[in-house]
Amino acid sequence: MRKNLKWFLPVLTGMLILAAWVGLKAGFGIRNFVLPGPLTILRAAAAERTVLLSAAEITISGAALGFVLAAVIGILASMVMGLSAALRLSLYPYILILQMTPVIIFAPVMVIWLGPGLPTVTFITFLICFFPIVANTTQGLISVDKNLVDLFRMINADPVQEVILLRVPHALPYFLTGLKIAGSIAMIGGITGDLFAGNASGNSGGLGYMVLVYEGELKVPELWAAGFTACFCGFIFVSFVLGLNWYLLHKWHDSIIKSDL
Amino acid sequence: MTSPLVKISSVNKRYGRGALILDALSLDVAQGEFVSLIGPSGCGKSTLLKLIASLSPVTEGLITVDEKTPREAREEMAFIFQEPTLLPWRTVIRNVELPLEVKGMGHTKRAGIAERMLKLVGLDHAMEHYPRQLSGGMKMRVSIARALTLFPKILLLDEPFGALDEMTRDRLNEELLAIRLAQKFTAFFVTHSVAEAVFLSSHIVVMSANPGRLHKTIPVPFPYPRTVETRESPAFQHCVTEVSRVLRSVTPQTL
Repeated sequence: MRKNLKWFLPVLTGMLILAAWVGLKAGFGIRNFVLPGPLTILRAAAAERTVLLSAAEITISGAALGFVLAAVIGILASMVMGLSAALRLSLYPYILILQMTPVIIFAPVMVIWLGPGLPTVTFITFLICFFPIVANTTQGLISVDKNLVDLFRMINADPVQEVILLRVPHALPYFLTGLKIAGSIAMIGGITGDLFAGNASGNSGGLGYMVLVYEGELKVPELWAAGFTACFCGFIFVSFVLGLNWYLLHKWHDSIIKSDL
Repeated sequence: MTSPLVKISSVNKRYGRGALILDALSLDVAQGEFVSLIGPSGCGKSTLLKLIASLSPVTEGLITVDEKTPREAREEMAFIFQEPTLLPWRTVIRNVELPLEVKGMGHTKRAGIAERMLKLVGLDHAMEHYPRQLSGGMKMRVSIARALTLFPKILLLDEPFGALDEMTRDRLNEELLAIRLAQKFTAFFVTHSVAEAVFLSSHIVVMSANPGRLHKTIPVPFPYPRTVETRESPAFQHCVTEVSRVLRSVTPQTL
């Protein structure tokens, strides 16, 4: 019963929203360029599927590369900051400054430096994904229970063993939390990148670029279709991270154990 | 007479520039003794364990362990903390193997030793469990098994059974003594329970607080092995009353 509800309730909510959407549109006679109906959008998506799919591919490539880069460099940076308080104090303010500067301002600069196309999209995604990963992973590396550190001293563990056997596994759930946040915003990075640097491959670009094109041509249903495509791509990222999270933690971590009781 | 295994000579301890925690404390403990440290909170009994373990430096005075500095003698000691301090991402047996793994022992050999230690604490059926699947008492048993893997000469126990219910605590007390018959370690045991101290110890050290001083060392006359019957005898009850009286005399009455 409870398991059925888990599926039934969100599906029901979805149906209600769709019904309200269609009802409002018909009731008030809302025109298509203000709010297209769901079927119109579906039809537009089907007609534009080749363009949308290749746009999604471009955006996802940039977003995925930036996301992976943020994870790899984020881990390295966290290790450096987690293991040395001096380096943490030296570097952290500048990582904060990087995070506090709106990425939209970096974008034109990046276009100037790297030129339009994949490198810029990747870099912008990297910029917005980097901080949540670094902040969380560093926190995990330094927040190990004092008694566990003492235990490792008592068994004469050297610093490398302390890192590998204690700090890194302890930081894993923190890292995955950072990765979840990064995964949910990676597509924003990709699309922001597209908006500024998307016209790389001649007449087509990423989803952000297509949004600009559709807007210019007043193709509103297609604009909505692009939006839903981006949303769908975002789910791919999040599912990937949630899957990884489950795979790595399901045997021992409370966050997963409690939820499936 | 042989020299004491642990020799504590006029030790002062303060953290940073804070108040004096231990004041001119001296204590000699011979091989094979089971010493309980008891006293009001703030008397520095846990601090004293940390000093012996060299987890914290002595401010003034000298501690020698087996005629070495505590740091040099660390390999002969094992520490059992107030919490079980298990690694949640490792199974029970992998937790017990940890000290051997850190030492660089091969996989088969260390698994064998860990299994033997788990058998000793009655947990060989739960080797592949994760800590979250265990009760508080079982977790503490794993922690004890882990400490025993290195066959320590000295076992330092910082109120290990404080969070457990009385039944479990009594049983673990009995098991700890049974294990000591086999492994012959010398023990330092911090506790708040007088009955526990009397049951386990060959000597009870009563400390007073602010600053921590050694108030009195009380020998416990009952021979080992001690059993449930020991605990039920009138002489045992009498000893508990005696120690409680001494403890009351050093505990501030204004609580």
